[in-house]
Amino acid sequence: MGYRITKKENLSAIDFFMEVEAPHIAHSWKVGQFVVLIADEKGERVPMSVYHAEDGKIGMFIRRHGVTTFKLWYEFDVGDEIFSITGPLGKPIEVKHYGNVVFVSDAVCAQAESYATLKAMKEAGNYTIAIQTFENAANTYPEKYLAKSVADEHYLTTEDGSIGIKGHYLDVLKELIEKDKVDIVFGGGKLGSLVKLAELTKPYGIPTIVTVRQIMVDGTGMCGSCRVLYDGEVKFACRDGPMFDAHKIDWEDAIKRNARFAKQEKLAKEMYMAKLKEKGVI
Amino acid sequence: MAKRELIKERVPTPEVPVEERTKSFVEVNLGYDFASAIKEAERCIQCPPEYAPCIKGCPVHINIPGFIKALRENSNNSNEAVKNALRVIWNDNTLPAITGRVCPQEDQCEAPCVMGKVGDPINIGKLERFVADYARKHNIDEELLQEFANNGENMKGKVAVVGSGPAGLTAAGELAKMGYKVTIFEALHKPGGVLIYGIPEFRLPKEILDKEIAKLIELGVEIKPNYVIGKTLTLEELLEEYDAVFIGTGAGTPKLLNIPGILLDGIYTANEFLTRINLMKAYEFPKYDTPLTIGKRTVVIGAGNTAMDAARSALRMGSEVIIAYRRGREDMTARIEEIHHAEEEGVKFEFFLNPIEFIGDENGKVKAVKFEKMKALEEKDAKGKRKIVGTGEYILLEADTVVIAIGLEPNKVISEEATGLKTNPNGTLVVDERLMTSISGVFAGGDAIRGEATVILAMGDGKKAAKSIHEYIQKKYSSA
Repeated sequence: MGYRITKKENLSAIDFFMEVEAPHIAHSWKVGQFVVLIADEKGERVPMSVYHAEDGKIGMFIRRHGVTTFKLWYEFDVGDEIFSITGPLGKPIEVKHYGNVVFVSDAVCAQAESYATLKAMKEAGNYTIAIQTFENAANTYPEKYLAKSVADEHYLTTEDGSIGIKGHYLDVLKELIEKDKVDIVFGGGKLGSLVKLAELTKPYGIPTIVTVRQIMVDGTGMCGSCRVLYDGEVKFACRDGPMFDAHKIDWEDAIKRNARFAKQEKLAKEMYMAKLKEKGVI
Repeated sequence: MAKRELIKERVPTPEVPVEERTKSFVEVNLGYDFASAIKEAERCIQCPPEYAPCIKGCPVHINIPGFIKALRENSNNSNEAVKNALRVIWNDNTLPAITGRVCPQEDQCEAPCVMGKVGDPINIGKLERFVADYARKHNIDEELLQEFANNGENMKGKVAVVGSGPAGLTAAGELAKMGYKVTIFEALHKPGGVLIYGIPEFRLPKEILDKEIAKLIELGVEIKPNYVIGKTLTLEELLEEYDAVFIGTGAGTPKLLNIPGILLDGIYTANEFLTRINLMKAYEFPKYDTPLTIGKRTVVIGAGNTAMDAARSALRMGSEVIIAYRRGREDMTARIEEIHHAEEEGVKFEFFLNPIEFIGDENGKVKAVKFEKMKALEEKDAKGKRKIVGTGEYILLEADTVVIAIGLEPNKVISEEATGLKTNPNGTLVVDERLMTSISGVFAGGDAIRGEATVILAMGDGKKAAKSIHEYIQKKYSSA
């Protein structure tokens, strides 16, 4: 008994798209919420952002990054079943009329959220702006997977300028702010960029709501792994978030905590890659 | 009948030697074999059930003299003896392999045992465990299940159970025996609740837990993992489909110390630490994908069963372990057997230390805990424990791993979503004497209504709620 994979498609040199049958989640998922999946019986519980929830299926953007995501890419195909998927988890964000809504993203989880969030925001009558940043052309997604179709304005940037605008979402956002076009910013991705995002929008008093990515185990507020310091108080990213006011997060702590298992993850990844090589998969 | 000789001393149960068990997660206590179980059972003076203090001391009121009698009456036929004894136990408790292992018997059934006044009380927990284990090994429980299973002819209604911990499993088992169609919704990917994520293999092997749960499935209970009620489905949605709902969501939210340094790397809540180990098998990383970092020296803060479990787990993962408690030895809330095992295995205890700060290194990793030394006053608090005050003296304990095991609060996922569900200021659900919540048809029990308590009290609630649910549904259909 598992959850059948209905679609799998490469997005870029590092990211891929996977869709899983999960009607129990699809019927209740709302923008801002996430899921936790386990690839196989020995797998770990990994939080994942949601790209879409339709027809009883959950679509996710996934980065080939660690053991779980390698497993999903190399060992699972359409028709196979993953061991477990739970959700929706976390608090939805408030979808209402804000005016000009910007979604900024520079990593896989946020690229998924960009589409989902702006789609809902557009339906709620907002003017929607997407700024999607990728490292380079090879890491950039095919057009149909960008937030273009749900954004009134869409900016694609690469850090090396190999495609789109050269630069980061921060650069584009700064220009938009100066043109007085921003009522609220949503976003996510690299924690380091989010620190700078918070610094950029704060002096203008622009509300800035972002995903605070943290290591999670259960995802329901049971283990306390994903705790963050928010407005001087300890909050759990899974239960109280995952989206928080970027101006109230203690980013230094959040970045440190998110690197807690870096050594173990690297070791596990190396061992897994060696196994794949041995089997001739890569 | 010949006069029985009083045997004052317990028949002991063998344990895995310390040096062997601290290297693995194998179960420590090996339990009785049939001959020694009979010998221990023979010590029972058979108080009449209407008087028996052991029954009164048991939150689910197992007919203890009854099952002991059944066991020893057939001492020449072990299978028959166990079958009869198990039948008596199952009437009140469908999960004896669990309760026989994790109940604080010394505070419950064994505390008032008459034999305890002249010698050792009867080893009721280990006898219960023996019956369950022997039955499982010899497939006797399979035979007995047929007797208990409702044949499905007079199904009475549908009940949803939220949470598959002790309260939920018990409620589900009791309702299934009565002929209800029961569906358990579990948020994690495996059922068992605290029994699977909180209690280590060396106290409750997963294989045994899985088999106990499998019995419920044979009784017709359906288990849906990966369902977070309040998120995946709302309580309202459950009420549309089911005649009644039982909430047994436990006390799943860890209490944190509100002191500087709480976010440092290396500081775990007991829930995270134990979940990584028990549920996700982090001690087998990288064979299993979930990691756990453990240092040379672990300080566990707290003195309940959870603290003992965390300490003994850390020890098995190769760390030196100190349990630091802000009160004295006499106030520790863990079971005596667990404290004893922890000491035997080399866990050190420090008393009257109240943590006030976690100190980190330049990489944000914990390196020490600062404590204030406490002292006890003669004056007692509301719980009957001596009040403690700070002395103004401080001490540093070096630690590269810290586990906080100071207690839990109810998880609010359901109460936040279902606004009609009344809660007390501490987050527990408000229930009436039938265990019905403020929403008609929704019942609750276990830690969700008690805060943090024991497995057996949760099971007592599950049983009581099952009875109330039965009455509620019967009434609903008779008045319809």
